[in-house]
Amino acid sequence: MNEPLLAADSIDFAVKNRMILRSAYVDAVPGKITALVGRSGSGKTTMFWILVGLRRPLGGQVRWAGERVERPRLADLARRGLAFGPDRPFLNPRLSTTDHLRMIDEEPSVAESYEWFGRPTGTLSGGEQRLSELAVLLACKPKVLVLDEPFRGLAPAVRDLIAGTLRRAATAGVAVLYADHDVEQVKNTADRLYSMESGMTRRVEGFRERPLAEWYHAWPQ
Amino acid sequence: MIPYSRWLRSRLFRSYLFQFPLIWVLVKAGNAYTAAWGGAPPLAFRPFTEVACCAIELFILWVFIRRNNEDILLGNLGLSWVAVLLPLVPIHFVLSAAVALA
Repeated sequence: MNEPLLAADSIDFAVKNRMILRSAYVDAVPGKITALVGRSGSGKTTMFWILVGLRRPLGGQVRWAGERVERPRLADLARRGLAFGPDRPFLNPRLSTTDHLRMIDEEPSVAESYEWFGRPTGTLSGGEQRLSELAVLLACKPKVLVLDEPFRGLAPAVRDLIAGTLRRAATAGVAVLYADHDVEQVKNTADRLYSMESGMTRRVEGFRERPLAEWYHAWPQ
Repeated sequence: MIPYSRWLRSRLFRSYLFQFPLIWVLVKAGNAYTAAWGGAPPLAFRPFTEVACCAIELFILWVFIRRNNEDILLGNLGLSWVAVLLPLVPIHFVLSAAVALA
């Protein structure tokens, strides 16, 4: 199945007359890991916030299974099967990971469980928090998993754990879409790639084989 | 996405149940002060004022929720802001009525 389950099409967005996104497009395909790569400030986070209904675009549309979603909202999209992890902590810092998991399932069963799941999330390290957030999002049994910079600032071992978790989710049929600015990480993790520059996107084929300068010439070497 | 009954039993909702009366005390104190300044009974139950105060309290709580990015957590659970805040409305009116009757 190669039809996108979730897509944001022809998205325009501006702040104080400055265009942030120009006819941008991104989508998520079941069973695949799709990456949106671009420099900081290129518009990745804004694109994701529009995709999940946390911002209203000036123009364009969000589609779920090919059908336009009128006035998309995160809660409505979550009921259809979306899970969204932003680029900042979003779990309650006074509650433990287990407390969060119990909201979703009274008898939570997660693929990976860690001893610190019982500690308040506000006391966890950055990597532990990111793994906790991923466990909570996956406990929602999403059809589409959208993550904004899930690898940022993490140790290589934690990056590998997260990459492995994303791969297992994709293998189980989840459409994974994530943003990153680390090209090497993207080459190792993603199946499909969109490149973003100055608010515009383009699909990149053969990104593992082609030299970086060919498909992302503006990237600082 | 999650059953509403489970949300109402969750520790996160209980934390909002704990925070909301604290916000109510602050707003009530402000309301009582302005009422006394205007020569009205400070703790009387005035329906329109109570509705306005309740809206202010819910707004303050939502600001705290958003500051922690918990609106994104709640959205992922399939809970809109209305679903989160609505169960707190009766608490405002019960507390205000109790103080007015005391």
